[in-house]
Amino acid sequence: MIKYILKRILQMIPTVLGVILLTFILFNVVGGDLAAIALGKKVSLQTLENFDEQRGLNKPLFFGTRAKSRAYEDLDLSAGAGRWRNWSNAVYSAEAGTVTLQPNASINPLAFELGAEDEFIWTLSFRGEGTLAGEPLSSTDWKSTKVRFNGGDAGFQTLENTLEIQKLKLRRVNRNPFDSQLTFYIRQLLRGDMGYSEGFKQPVAKLLRDGVLPSLSLTIPIFIIGLVVSISLSLVCAYFRDAFIDRFLVIFSVALMSINYLVFIVAGQYFLAYKNGWFPVWGYESVKYLFLPVLIGVISGLGSNIRFYRTIMLDEMYKDYVRTAFAKGVSKPRVLFVHVLKNAMIPIITNVVIAIPFLYTGSLLLESFFGIPGLGYLSINAILSADIDVVRAIVLIGALLFVVSNLLTDICYAAADPRVKLK
Amino acid sequence: MVCLGLVVIFTLLAIYGEIVYQVHDFRDITPAYQKTDLDMQFQPPSSKHWMGTDGLGRDVMSRLIQGVSIAYKVGIITSLIAIPIGVFFGCIAGYFGGKVDDVVVWLYSTFASMPGLLFILAIAMVVGKGLLGIYLGIGLTTWVGICRLIRGEVMKHKEQTYVQAAKALGLSSGRIMFKHILPNISHIIIVTFSLRFPAAVGTEVFLSFLGIGVQDQPSWGLMINNARMRLWQGMWWEMTFVTIALFLLVLAFNLLGDALRDALDPRLND
Repeated sequence: MIKYILKRILQMIPTVLGVILLTFILFNVVGGDLAAIALGKKVSLQTLENFDEQRGLNKPLFFGTRAKSRAYEDLDLSAGAGRWRNWSNAVYSAEAGTVTLQPNASINPLAFELGAEDEFIWTLSFRGEGTLAGEPLSSTDWKSTKVRFNGGDAGFQTLENTLEIQKLKLRRVNRNPFDSQLTFYIRQLLRGDMGYSEGFKQPVAKLLRDGVLPSLSLTIPIFIIGLVVSISLSLVCAYFRDAFIDRFLVIFSVALMSINYLVFIVAGQYFLAYKNGWFPVWGYESVKYLFLPVLIGVISGLGSNIRFYRTIMLDEMYKDYVRTAFAKGVSKPRVLFVHVLKNAMIPIITNVVIAIPFLYTGSLLLESFFGIPGLGYLSINAILSADIDVVRAIVLIGALLFVVSNLLTDICYAAADPRVKLK
Repeated sequence: MVCLGLVVIFTLLAIYGEIVYQVHDFRDITPAYQKTDLDMQFQPPSSKHWMGTDGLGRDVMSRLIQGVSIAYKVGIITSLIAIPIGVFFGCIAGYFGGKVDDVVVWLYSTFASMPGLLFILAIAMVVGKGLLGIYLGIGLTTWVGICRLIRGEVMKHKEQTYVQAAKALGLSSGRIMFKHILPNISHIIIVTFSLRFPAAVGTEVFLSFLGIGVQDQPSWGLMINNARMRLWQGMWWEMTFVTIALFLLVLAFNLLGDALRDALDPRLND
């Protein structure tokens, strides 16, 4: 048994790595530029740089020795003057696509001072005479060159001659090529650090801790009541197979499945809470506030659950042991509730364990409609405000919990049925 | 039979809605369903506006029909993304086995681990608001189920004599997979399509409702969102008719899917 468990844990590792990689690709590679939206529109580039620094976003994605900095965006002057419009002693020519620095000019094109502990590289093509970051530049023809420097003075200076520039870009030297966003992310996860939410101005881990209880207080009752009701109804179906009540329940469950979740919520809130005043409409103050969301949650899940459990029960009904039990003269209720239910436990347990991660992530809609401050509410707010750190943390934790509960299911299987281990 | 009739009606409405949209888009005029008429705000159903008007005096019925075409677009395009991915990976995993199979299984178990709706929302957020985000979000998350089914089926078919015969004839693997095995398991694709269609429509409604999906076209999710607050003031018609339309569409496809599954493959009954 222990050998089997160890084997399964080893098999779990690639999936965990896959999940980490997938969240990384989604939120850093595809959605990397989105992260800064949470800061708002009017922020200084220095703030952005600090934001990137905190999240490792100023590093190369996977691997590399050069990294971009917010201090200076890559600029091809033939496409426009960009920031160079700000200086009166730099003359921009749109036809030539160049900027000409007048004699005796001192211009620092950076948006903010660079950190002195890092090494930077300017790459530019120029013509004329002057200095850049203390390095002398001199050429009569167009020439591309690189200037390495350590923080501090990074600007241009000209004396009696002019200096023309065409292309200009700035890179930070990444001393360790493996010091990338990916390794930063993995190190962060290993430390158990979930990041910092810019929208809420709080560490994500704290937001998650605060949200778990309200979510669980909503999802656990939904889950348990839903389970009991749907298993009971599915047993009723199996008991009265093909009788009117079975047919009715099947049609009923298909109809329930076809009603959109939103409709349940809107109609429930309107008719039961607002019109008739049986339940509070919105809030999270006492147990009373949970009744309606729980009711709606149970009803909306009922359709698919009844169908699922009914199929399981009916599958079991045709097995040999059931026929034997009937032949022995065991009563129908006893066969159903003792023999069949016990054997149907394995698929039921699978379904139950698999549902556990979803208890944690909460119900997105129910929580936001009824103002329950759980993780679902948090996720929706975070998604609407593009608070990537929060969304990434919730997606990742949900996925990891799913992997772990898969493992638990398999171990339960192996415990219940020794044949599983041999496969 | 009733459900088939409903599906046909909805399909015709969707085609009609799409034609109306394209024509107006091409001629660059405001279509009827976008025409605002502030004198006609919140009219209850009447002979002129069969389903009443909304807060900007727009006719609910024509918006509803337009919503059908959006729902269909989502259902079809997400299927066009998800089904080819799922079928391709399922086929190569089932046919080649070994290392290829390991990689595909790893890939789909990774995707299957992601928390469903939240993952779709996150993809839609990253891609950006609008229909594209919805297509990609739903399309890229729902290929896992069909991939699993196809993989299992291909594994079974691989051992059968017709495949052995094709191999003995020296046909290429690609040809055996896609020309010989695939037609024999195509019923799975049809059933999956009809069952995932309503799910995709429901998800689209949900995303648009949250304001992540469709922006300025009359999607049902947006209509529900608009109608929700009006409902509290007693303006029931927009909410009611959208709900009924959504219910009928999803129900029709669910029943059709079940019927197809029973007819085409009794073994899939779980």
